[in-house]
Amino acid sequence: MTTEAPGTADEALPFGPESEFSGFFDDPRWALAIIRATVLEAAHPQVGAALADNSTFVAHPWRRLRNTFVSMRRMFGTDPAVREREAARLNRLHARMSGSDSRGRAYDAMDRATRAWVVATLFESAVTMCRLSGQPLDQDTMERMYAEYRAFLAALDGDAAELPEDLHDFWRYFDRIVENELENTEAARIILYRLFDHLPAPALLHGAPTLWAAGRAVAGPVLGAITVASLPEPYRRRAGLPEMPGAPTLMQGAYLAAGLTRFLPGGWINAESIIEALSLPPDSDDPRARTVTALRARMKRASALLRLLTPLSGDAGPAPAPPAAAQETRRSAEEFFRRVLDQTGDGHLDWPDLAAMARELSTRLDLDEPEETRLYDAFAAWWRELQAALDTDGDGRVGAEEYAAAVPSLAGPALIRVAEVLFDATDKDGNGSIDADEYRTLFRTAFHRDLTTTDGAHGRSAFVGDFLSFMTGRRTGTPYDPLLADA
Amino acid sequence: MTERGTAGRAAPDGAGPRHVACVMDGNGRWARRRSLPRTAGHRAAETAVIDVIEAARAAGVEWLTLYAFSTENWNRSGTEVEFLMRLVRRVVRKHAPLLLARGIRCRFLGVADPRIPRELAQDFCDLAALTADNRGMTLTVAFDHGGRRDIVEAARSLIRSGTPADEVTERLFADHLPFPDTPDVDLVIRTSGEQRISNFMLWQVAYAEWVFPEVLWPDLRAPDFLAYLHAYQRRDRRFGGVSAGTNGDPS
Repeated sequence: MTTEAPGTADEALPFGPESEFSGFFDDPRWALAIIRATVLEAAHPQVGAALADNSTFVAHPWRRLRNTFVSMRRMFGTDPAVREREAARLNRLHARMSGSDSRGRAYDAMDRATRAWVVATLFESAVTMCRLSGQPLDQDTMERMYAEYRAFLAALDGDAAELPEDLHDFWRYFDRIVENELENTEAARIILYRLFDHLPAPALLHGAPTLWAAGRAVAGPVLGAITVASLPEPYRRRAGLPEMPGAPTLMQGAYLAAGLTRFLPGGWINAESIIEALSLPPDSDDPRARTVTALRARMKRASALLRLLTPLSGDAGPAPAPPAAAQETRRSAEEFFRRVLDQTGDGHLDWPDLAAMARELSTRLDLDEPEETRLYDAFAAWWRELQAALDTDGDGRVGAEEYAAAVPSLAGPALIRVAEVLFDATDKDGNGSIDADEYRTLFRTAFHRDLTTTDGAHGRSAFVGDFLSFMTGRRTGTPYDPLLADA
Repeated sequence: MTERGTAGRAAPDGAGPRHVACVMDGNGRWARRRSLPRTAGHRAAETAVIDVIEAARAAGVEWLTLYAFSTENWNRSGTEVEFLMRLVRRVVRKHAPLLLARGIRCRFLGVADPRIPRELAQDFCDLAALTADNRGMTLTVAFDHGGRRDIVEAARSLIRSGTPADEVTERLFADHLPFPDTPDVDLVIRTSGEQRISNFMLWQVAYAEWVFPEVLWPDLRAPDFLAYLHAYQRRDRRFGGVSAGTNGDPS
């Protein structure tokens, strides 16, 4: 596996399946550790401000947890190209995050010291998770793992100068930040208190909703207590976090139990499924039953939309798509998936793919700040919609097959919103229709293409309809086709 | 959304109307004044329709009803009817995504005549199914609609259900009309200066305020629409001393 890139600098880097880090991937303790690391991150005023300003985080804090998990998996994978893409994407993402917090202090997600802290919390939590579960790492392993995390930071930032070179110095660095810089930020409070009120059932209990309904009242606060008890003492004191009798014992017990579950048969429980379960919306007491009914209603609406979106063949012809055409649609949707949507080229659609697309479009269209944010938000909303529509197997990503099968249901309100934002960005004179000039300008600047023909002005609805047909892969050969495929 | 508590009764300082209906009149005259075929007038009506839908939604109107095609309109020339069917189909399909995105629940009142093309009826069904879960404004398009026919249908339905004559009340009768959850119409706007009811939602307009602006439907724009809402707010609705029961609303 690592032989793919012989002779490159990567050979020296401790990534890949042999790394200490990847040993934790299927470790259920890792879920607890990431929650803990997220609290410590959020307690940093800079990170906390960035998180609290991000409305998605406030509404769906678990999602960031999940993104961290997925992103780290990419970063620690074997393929250097995937790693580079992921690093570039993270940098683009963070470049968007800057501003000032509620007390007027500036924050910037590109700040090197801040980013070093994020990596530091992940490393420290990994070490702590082993310590708390009674299987502490030996010094050698710990040092190897520290080197991996520094390499992780270097892949992001170019170098790891912000983290001490030596593990011994790291602990002093860590303690100093905890004691001097961490605060009881809004973001940390969100995680600690609000989240644990609404805890979705873990994947393990999906089959037993009533059991979970009863257990949830206990499990939410328990997970909260476990996390709180695992935080460094100086921070607990400063943030005024409650000392609950028995919580430390409970916490160690939980880590121990989570550690022991590693000996269960594979697939019974792993960090990914725990994190996926946590990413579910809060009101899903019985995800299965809900999924089934929702799916049925969604299929009905999807086929309605599919019929409505199918372009009329002339004025006379009857429009309903015959089965052969449906097959055709499916094929073109898969093709579309590979050429346009899967920007990371890993065979799956994920938020980074859509973020990259939003990024490209706004760069090429040279959007000003409010519009860029609107476009970005619109893509984010579409991703949520996609996840909701396609998260049937709960692996959190969308494969080409799944996409093609579900394609009609994808044109929900959020995707329509994307089209509208593009329309507004193109309609420079704001007269409610894109004239031939504006249409041509859109394609020349956004997609580097000259159009040979346009048939006059495009109204909002016509534009949206065209865009939807294109995005759902229902219409190849529209002007968009070669264009976004290159985007 | 406006507060529901004031629905059906306008205070002098004015809650807006909860249910607004438009009788879209004047397309033919609009075209004739421009020496265009009547069909051009129908085509120009599309812009006004979309404008009014957006304006109504933005103004907090909860129910909007558009009278698109009456049971009497079948008497028009064959080519005009055929053109209208194609036009409506194109408009429905074109605007379906935006209606969905705006959270507008769409439904079609009437649509009983076998002369309606099968594909158009399918599109109506699809748009209604697509937007059925929307919780924003409810847009009712009266297509192939006749107020008397609805009343006759309600009577048939009552008789079929075996309701004894003594038990039939206004409320019970209203429950047998199509879309019984539709509240009484508060305001009807009939463009082009015509002052007739033309068999439009006879039961539901019982206590409606009417305005008859001179403007032809294709020329109507959002500011005009808002002006009519404003005029409504200034009117003192008395309901002839009768209380403002809403149609079939079990409140």
